[in-house]
Amino acid sequence: MLFLIVCAFSGVILFEVPSLIRNKYWRELVVFSALLSISFIIVVLQTLGFQLPSPAKGLDYIVENVLHLNYH
Amino acid sequence: MILEKGQISSAQLFFLVNCFIQGALLPLNFAYPISKHDTWLAVIAAMIIGSVIALVYISLAGLFPGQNLVQINDLIYGPYLGKFISLQYILFFLMTLSGYLWFISDFVLTFIMPETPISSIMIMFSFICAWAVRQGIEVITRMSVVFSVIPASIVFITFALLLKDMEFTNLLPLFESPPGDLFQSTHIIMHISFSQVLVFLMVIPYVNKQGPSKTPILLGMLSGGMVILVSSIRNIAALGPLSGIVTSPSLEAVRLINIGKILTRLEILVAMAEILLLFIISCVFYYATVLGLAHISKLRTYVPLVVPIGILSIILSLLSYESRMQVSHSIMYITPIVSLYFYIVLPFMSLIVAKLRKLPRNKGRN
Repeated sequence: MLFLIVCAFSGVILFEVPSLIRNKYWRELVVFSALLSISFIIVVLQTLGFQLPSPAKGLDYIVENVLHLNYH
Repeated sequence: MILEKGQISSAQLFFLVNCFIQGALLPLNFAYPISKHDTWLAVIAAMIIGSVIALVYISLAGLFPGQNLVQINDLIYGPYLGKFISLQYILFFLMTLSGYLWFISDFVLTFIMPETPISSIMIMFSFICAWAVRQGIEVITRMSVVFSVIPASIVFITFALLLKDMEFTNLLPLFESPPGDLFQSTHIIMHISFSQVLVFLMVIPYVNKQGPSKTPILLGMLSGGMVILVSSIRNIAALGPLSGIVTSPSLEAVRLINIGKILTRLEILVAMAEILLLFIISCVFYYATVLGLAHISKLRTYVPLVVPIGILSIILSLLSYESRMQVSHSIMYITPIVSLYFYIVLPFMSLIVAKLRKLPRNKGRN
């Protein structure tokens, strides 16, 4: 599974990065690598079996139990 | 700094908005359990209130012609607070995109291909969306012309075929559900279809004639709303009290069609229509997220961000949602409140601040 993920991400890098370097889009390259590394870290953590918190559930908890704003 | 070189005409904008509103054909089934056979009243109310709120968005776009949402926020609130508010909007668009990805995968999983892992459907769907978004807004709008005609004709044809099974007395005890439930249902329908027109603030600047963006958006909202209204009347009249109980009233109602034992099981038509519409909706949200992020980080092109944002949205939707119950509870009771901040509070505040600071005139003088 981990091998497949590494393959997919390196495929994305091979797909995007050469044209960025050729056109000297350095700022674009920085933003691209930041986003891709965030998603790579989350995917690897998820695959290795870490329980990551769910953003939607966190939002639900804040709105429902902390702010007490809902239709009940 | 012009990131998008494509231009769309106002007729294409009309079809895009029409498609966008029609996309609520299936998400509408979150409203049926609350206001059971009065849902069609809630659709009408949501259509009227949503059009009034859309006037705020349109006037915001009219104050700053040629500027999209991120640039408008920068002009109104200054560079730092404006960036913060734009970042909130982009996160919200990303969450909405991941919600739609989850919704379509769950829909395909439940009704068409029950034994497929959810991530594979998500990956295929977002791959096609990424392909469309990389081509720019022109391609998405050109597709929407076809995609708005097919679902509307499917809705009208199924309405005609179901006429002999319908009992219009099912609609009759008007206002039977309590006003609170009707209000909640209106709010749900607004936040899953009509208020989402906000995302078109990212698209309006690329209409080739800057002036009359008001008419195509309002007309598109009204015509799309009529299609939803027809479909909800069809569901309630055909299913009766069952419409608040079944998971997906549209599919169940169309499943009843039986003409001479030849024309049966037409619900796959509704599924096809819904996949086309959700594709357009996801593309628009995807495009808005990517374009907004590119504007915030001052890039020269938005194309390299498309694939990472797609991966991020798949991860977010896999992390966030785990069951249909959780999504239904969240959409029925919680996200209407959360989206109130983005759809009503922030645009109204932007408009008031812009009026108080007399902004466009100052910009013209500089």
